[in-house]
Amino acid sequence: MKNIVLFCAAGMSTSLLVTKMEKAAANEGFDCKIAAYSLNELKTYGPDADIILLGPQVRYNLDKVKTELPEKPVVVIDMRQYGMMDGKGVIEMVHKVLGE
Amino acid sequence: MSELNDEKYEEIVMGLIVSGGNARSLAMEAIQAAKAGEFDKAGTLMTECEEALTEAHNIQTELIQKEIRGEHVQIMLLMVHAQDHLMNAIVVKDMALEIIDLHQKIK
Repeated sequence: MKNIVLFCAAGMSTSLLVTKMEKAAANEGFDCKIAAYSLNELKTYGPDADIILLGPQVRYNLDKVKTELPEKPVVVIDMRQYGMMDGKGVIEMVHKVLGE
Repeated sequence: MSELNDEKYEEIVMGLIVSGGNARSLAMEAIQAAKAGEFDKAGTLMTECEEALTEAHNIQTELIQKEIRGEHVQIMLLMVHAQDHLMNAIVVKDMALEIIDLHQKIK
């Protein structure tokens, strides 16, 4: 099972995307756990993640997160997909990054 | 806002979050560029930041005008959160201009 962790400023708007992503994942039978947190909780939830997704509003933290967790794939969610709450599109991107 | 369904409203609020959040990211990236001595890049990023903020402002204004016209705008927690993002972006933008200026003076 893949552990997908999303981070944004407060973990609030991202939670909305999580519900859409969960729906998309369930539809295609993708076995994963998806959760959203505030970037302040990176140290708590980051190390267990298979992939880390950042909300576009915290994009400027990309380098910091990569330095903190150098072995993890870290991706900024596309602004358009984020705005449209395109759960399916983000799941497809996750597959691509994880090389599935 | 009675004529707006929930999904449409959610989309508008997300638009506010995305453009506000984007403006904030751009302002922070501009500071990072200035810190690295790349002042032209910082300037370009700040212009993009202004554009994103204008976009957010337009969404906000549209909602306020709707309310003034008597079309009640539903207040959901997500909307309050979107306002948070916008306010944050405006403050960070103003501070970014000052910080970039300071970096320029130090160099």
